[in-house]
Amino acid sequence: MSNNTRKIINRIWLHGFFITLSFVTLIPVLYALTISLSSSNSLLSSDFSFIPKNITLNNYALLFTEYPIIRWFSNSFILAISTLGLALGVSIPAAYAFSRRTFKGKQSVFKTLILLNAFPTILSMFALWRLMSTGPVSLINTKIGLVLIYAGTMAIFGIMNMKGYFDTIPIEIEEAARIDGGTEFQIVSKIVLPLAKPSIIVTGVMILIYVWNEYIFSITFMTGSENYTLAVGLYSLQAGEISGSWPLFTAAALFTSLPVLIIFLMVQRHMVSGLTVGGVKA
Amino acid sequence: MQKTKKMNHKGFSAVLISLPALLLIGLIIVFPILYTFYISFTNMNIYHWFTFELIGFENYRRVLFVLDSGFLRALWMTILWTVVNMSLQLVVAFIIASLLNHRHMKFNGFYKTLLMIPWAIPGYVSILLWRTGMFNTEFGLFNQWMRSLGFETVQWLSGDIIAFISVTVVNLWLALPFMIMIMDGALQSIDQSYYEAADLESANVLQKARLITVPLMKPVIAPAVVITIFTTFKQFDIIYLLIMQPAARTGANIHTILTYAYENAFITSNYGYSSAISIVIFMMLIGFTLGFNRQMRKGGIKHVEQH
Repeated sequence: MSNNTRKIINRIWLHGFFITLSFVTLIPVLYALTISLSSSNSLLSSDFSFIPKNITLNNYALLFTEYPIIRWFSNSFILAISTLGLALGVSIPAAYAFSRRTFKGKQSVFKTLILLNAFPTILSMFALWRLMSTGPVSLINTKIGLVLIYAGTMAIFGIMNMKGYFDTIPIEIEEAARIDGGTEFQIVSKIVLPLAKPSIIVTGVMILIYVWNEYIFSITFMTGSENYTLAVGLYSLQAGEISGSWPLFTAAALFTSLPVLIIFLMVQRHMVSGLTVGGVKA
Repeated sequence: MQKTKKMNHKGFSAVLISLPALLLIGLIIVFPILYTFYISFTNMNIYHWFTFELIGFENYRRVLFVLDSGFLRALWMTILWTVVNMSLQLVVAFIIASLLNHRHMKFNGFYKTLLMIPWAIPGYVSILLWRTGMFNTEFGLFNQWMRSLGFETVQWLSGDIIAFISVTVVNLWLALPFMIMIMDGALQSIDQSYYEAADLESANVLQKARLITVPLMKPVIAPAVVITIFTTFKQFDIIYLLIMQPAARTGANIHTILTYAYENAFITSNYGYSSAISIVIFMMLIGFTLGFNRQMRKGGIKHVEQH
């Protein structure tokens, strides 16, 4: 009896705690949502509440009529898809080779990759910028330049992450298929890749999210407004101390976040393993 | 004979299929690092864009041995930042994850999803929302609350100390979801029978945490903690976007080593000096990586031996 009462009391304060914590955590997001749905003149009113009095989609409509948000969106989308294709295209075969084959220098190349993975690309951003602007063809302000940078960065992550997963697939499966007379190509495409699908999907999602969330390279390299991505667009829309474009900014911010939020919550369960496995396997 | 031939063939094809990736990484990652290394020995800056010359170790001397150089101050700040943030993160995440796994807790999946949301929003978007929505002096939520409670408004991002606190709050907001998730997973991996045995010995909550939970969690969360130490040490976005944006400095003078390197490259155009900083940071990161890997391997072996 007393045990039961204690259980109920515990349950009440636990739920009280987590409801409060969730609400406090989400205040910045809820506040942005409220602002994006209210008209701009209610900003400084003293009787602010989290439920706007006059809900309006005006700020969202303005984004599409007055600002090139569709172009920003499609630029981000093109970058994300191209990076995904290039990064996965080069790193799946490399990860397979590093997991399954022995060749001269394999260990030292892989150790170098681990060290390179610790290098924040922002530290070589100036060198990259100078190389890309003074090379035979300027890659500044082009999508190709950014896709190369993003794919190069994510190829390291992709190789390490997927090699770790290939390592967990028993080699006996492949050997059995080889005895049955399967060609090398058949074995990889019909047996190994389907088995590695979970890892390939997590890696792919991580690449998409990385490109979508990247801003410092895009604001530095994309100088012409026709190439603005969502990140550069948002950066330019930023509200200053007294700027009135704050409601518009919140609308754009939430519009930018929505695709990532949806994908993220869909693969939430796999995120932790997707992020840690690659860093550990040395 | 035939076997070695086959091996060679396989080795050759393995090199061939990893070549595109290695070429791309060589071109985009390795070559710019080498070029940065070269620039670090020159006096390249805005006046010497084409006419720069080699000046030996002068930039490195300025980075490491000039005591009032900005770099050593930024390095000290970065270490302080990493220690403060990691301690807070570990303690807070441990408490929240433990409560999520309290035996009387039901429907914790719902709260977990809500608490993951800060992690799911693009980082730069959240930081910019915090900057205006929370910290803005005029219409930020914090000052609205201050006003309605009858207090003076505060400039959350302008003094060094208050800005450090504000930046830490944002970092916790962004980083806690990952740590909670990791600790939650680790807690679920602990066999409940340990606690039942402890209950028979009538151990209290603190004893259970100290003698069962923490030691058993350690090996499970270690890799994630190491990764987080690295990302905290390499923090750039929060400090840059909140207080160091070129056109909108807030007055606080907080630099991590990364924002300091960035500023010297892209704002004050000291390319040689900035490149020397980059190389010094890279050397430190290599040292940490090797050190942590060795530690990890040692820890792993110890753990296996115990069983």
